[in-house]
Amino acid sequence: MKLRFLTPALPLLAAATLCAADPAASPLPSPSSAPSPTPILKMPVIEYTEYDLANGLHVILHQDRSVPVVATYVHYHVGSKNERPDRTGFAHFFEHLMFEGSKNIPRGQIDKLVSAAGGNLNASTSFDRTDYYFNLPSNQLGLGLWIESERMLHAQIDETGVETQRSVVKEERKTSVDNAPYGSVFENLASMVFEGTPYEWVPIGSVQYIDQATIEEFRDFYRHYYVPNNATLVVAGDIDLPETKKLIETYFGPIPRGKEIERPKFTLEPQKEAKKRSVELPTTPLPATLHAWRGPKETSPDAPALELLADILATGRSSRLYERIVRQEQSGNDVSVFPYLLENGGVIGIFVIGNPDSKLEKLDATLEEEIARVREKGVSAEELQKAKNQKISRLATAYSTMKQRAVFLADFHVMYGDTGLINRQLERIEGVTPEQIQEVARKYLDPKKNNILHYPVARDASPS
Amino acid sequence: MKPLPLFLALGMSLSPLHAAPTPSASSAPAELDRSHPPKAGPLPEVALPKTVSETLPNGLRLVVLPDHRQPTVTYRLLIRSGALYDGDSPGLADLCANLLNKGTTTLSAEEFASKTDFLGISVEASASDDAIAVMAFGLANYQKEILGFLRDAVLSPAFLAAEIDKEKRTTISELIANNADPSDLAARLRNRLLYGKHPYGAFPTPESVKAIRRDQLVAFHRTQFLPNHAMLAIVGDVDPQKALAEAKAAFDDWEKGEIPEAELTAFPTVKGVTIHLVDRPASVQSNILVAMPGVPRNNSDFPELQVVNSVLGGGFSGRLFSNLRERHGYTYGSYSGFGSRKLGGAFSAVAQVRNEVTAAATKEIFNELRRLRDSLIPETELELQRTYLAGNYLISLENNRRIAERIQEIDLYDLPADYWETYARRLTGVTPQKAEELARQYIDPENLVVVVVGKAQEVREQLEGLGPVTVYDTDLNPVSEKPAEKPAKQ
Repeated sequence: MKLRFLTPALPLLAAATLCAADPAASPLPSPSSAPSPTPILKMPVIEYTEYDLANGLHVILHQDRSVPVVATYVHYHVGSKNERPDRTGFAHFFEHLMFEGSKNIPRGQIDKLVSAAGGNLNASTSFDRTDYYFNLPSNQLGLGLWIESERMLHAQIDETGVETQRSVVKEERKTSVDNAPYGSVFENLASMVFEGTPYEWVPIGSVQYIDQATIEEFRDFYRHYYVPNNATLVVAGDIDLPETKKLIETYFGPIPRGKEIERPKFTLEPQKEAKKRSVELPTTPLPATLHAWRGPKETSPDAPALELLADILATGRSSRLYERIVRQEQSGNDVSVFPYLLENGGVIGIFVIGNPDSKLEKLDATLEEEIARVREKGVSAEELQKAKNQKISRLATAYSTMKQRAVFLADFHVMYGDTGLINRQLERIEGVTPEQIQEVARKYLDPKKNNILHYPVARDASPS
Repeated sequence: MKPLPLFLALGMSLSPLHAAPTPSASSAPAELDRSHPPKAGPLPEVALPKTVSETLPNGLRLVVLPDHRQPTVTYRLLIRSGALYDGDSPGLADLCANLLNKGTTTLSAEEFASKTDFLGISVEASASDDAIAVMAFGLANYQKEILGFLRDAVLSPAFLAAEIDKEKRTTISELIANNADPSDLAARLRNRLLYGKHPYGAFPTPESVKAIRRDQLVAFHRTQFLPNHAMLAIVGDVDPQKALAEAKAAFDDWEKGEIPEAELTAFPTVKGVTIHLVDRPASVQSNILVAMPGVPRNNSDFPELQVVNSVLGGGFSGRLFSNLRERHGYTYGSYSGFGSRKLGGAFSAVAQVRNEVTAAATKEIFNELRRLRDSLIPETELELQRTYLAGNYLISLENNRRIAERIQEIDLYDLPADYWETYARRLTGVTPQKAEELARQYIDPENLVVVVVGKAQEVREQLEGLGPVTVYDTDLNPVSEKPAEKPAKQ
């Protein structure tokens, strides 16, 4: 049994439009799940074809006919980092508006059309991208393509919809952030670690900016970013390839290309000094501490070693931090380590939730000691092999649904320009050596450049 | 004429989206007409995957579902026990489950963790009200090892005093954390109100967990962990005959025993509408949970009831979602469902809303319950929900682990053997008349409980208009009525 708050640190990064109603829909936020070497293991190959339409839409098709279902997935390369600092939450809010309707789909009907077809849907917004998916019985592929092309060609944005969604998004923020224990951890973390960059605010944003935005701004945003040359369409599942290509050309071909998009250009410079913050909230049940550092971008050659380092520190009960803090010293209740690597840079964090009597200073000292140990002495070959084996196990189930495959195919295309990486995840970590683990620990987990965030239990926790 | 109907202002009627489906796969018309959704053929037929099963002489039921799409294997051992057998020690079954992988007669907790971690294997157990589930997962090429760890955890836990103390400490921290979680609080209070002193109504507290002794854990394990009280599903990249033979060899010597009886109390009767407000002063939203007694899992109307429920709150096209979110903007989402267990169940409708509209939103939930019971559901709306459920059932077949769980549900809850083969057909067979009959039989808006977790100072007065209000603290103890708490005015 795990504390439910621990994992939420990551889901909070992406704000979903409708709610997590699809139990299968929890892919990793980035393809950080990697494998390793085991000679006997053969990972199934995920075959695909990809091409561009004349208007720039990138299309990836993957056929798997084992179950008569199909996933359609549209990835727009726009996220919260494309927002103005006085319009945070804009991309996510816009994602809600994309469910309003289109020239040919009356307001509020997208949900109903998909339900009536026997499917389900959702969407999410992260720092770098906004994505939309339908899971459908495969007889309904045409419907999925029709709706997505309608949204890309002529979505309708009117005042009624904007007003309703303003209320809805305010409640979404309360549910996931303000009313939830530790719900604001990531928001605080981002503002410390990413300070001075467009990653310093989270996708859910601040509600007052959504109130200030005008309908014209939403329409501009749509014209600018929701264009085929900024989108990737993946169709995965029980499909006929020539037929699907024809359908896609029919529905998406006529959509005009948009202007070239200027991407935010920034890199995360090394942090100048350590930072510390304490957030005292009446919703905090157990004391917690978070240590975090600036990390590399998703595509950095350092990423595989950093992911394995995270596993060595905290994946499984025999991992370094879990074993010491939870098992031996019992100074904490749970430990998680997450590398969250994005397009322009990343963060690696260690989150420890204590027991009622835990002292945060003591937990901090333990973490600092363990970080120093890995920086100075590195890791053993056995520990590294264990981390690789754990990753292989996770990787073996990472692509089990059509929707999961679609998510990763699109991400590898957009972020790496190399869709085929979906079949080369084993190689990605195979060659990582203990020396490299130590090197990334030294490079990134620098005690002089860390960020410490405390969530103490409020001193006066008695009801007012 | 509009190709697609607009929802009426009340979101009440929906015209056919599926009228006269043409029996061909979707295809693009020669000349694109964007104004209509493309026509689609009927839902694809799909057969459940083939399984191989066997019952061992000691009563253990084995089922194997081969799935070669991934190089992994999952073993799911289910004991037909759980919190139902906690007796006077709430938390006993859960603590027992959590100790299975914390040291066995041959491996210390540390050894167990490092050996499984090293192979990327996980062995985790948890207890619910009706079952204890032990899941062992890993790469198929470690099948033997996975089975070995499973056997060791299930048959030979050591229950060392030091490990018991550690696990209690962890559990108590989790209980403290749960008291800060509004949804968790609401669900526990609902259970107590609907199930009373029956084990389904109980929940562990730090005190009840602290009081559990080693001998209770040992006895619980000895009396509950019986092969004739258990079943094992194996899903993954395996040869079914070989997997059966290996499982047989692993569990052959597990001795059967007499299946214990749980001490049970009758459920209380729910009369009238009562409001139960958990005061969580930090709340910026109210968690509303409207609940009434439901049905046990093997109720013969269960599949059809899913359709009735779906009309109300089964997803993004349900009436609660349309009303509370899309019409009123009260909430991020509102849903309902029949939560059913072996011996009883609850029907619940939920929403998280801003403090100011707590009573208004609760009233809308009441209105939707009444409308569901009192007016015939239009065929077009029912058709949407039938297809929604049947289609999503089809989509769920991507997940073979889920299929194996469902097969085990047949045994666990005594469902008809052909339950899943006939499931989709039963969903699609629900007529408006049948739905009405079921709604009248099972939805009773005049006798229910409303649990609200929120800031009493801001929501209590609103709620008083809906029924008598009892206020609780976050330990779920009723607090005495003391208006004196209010500042002595100015």
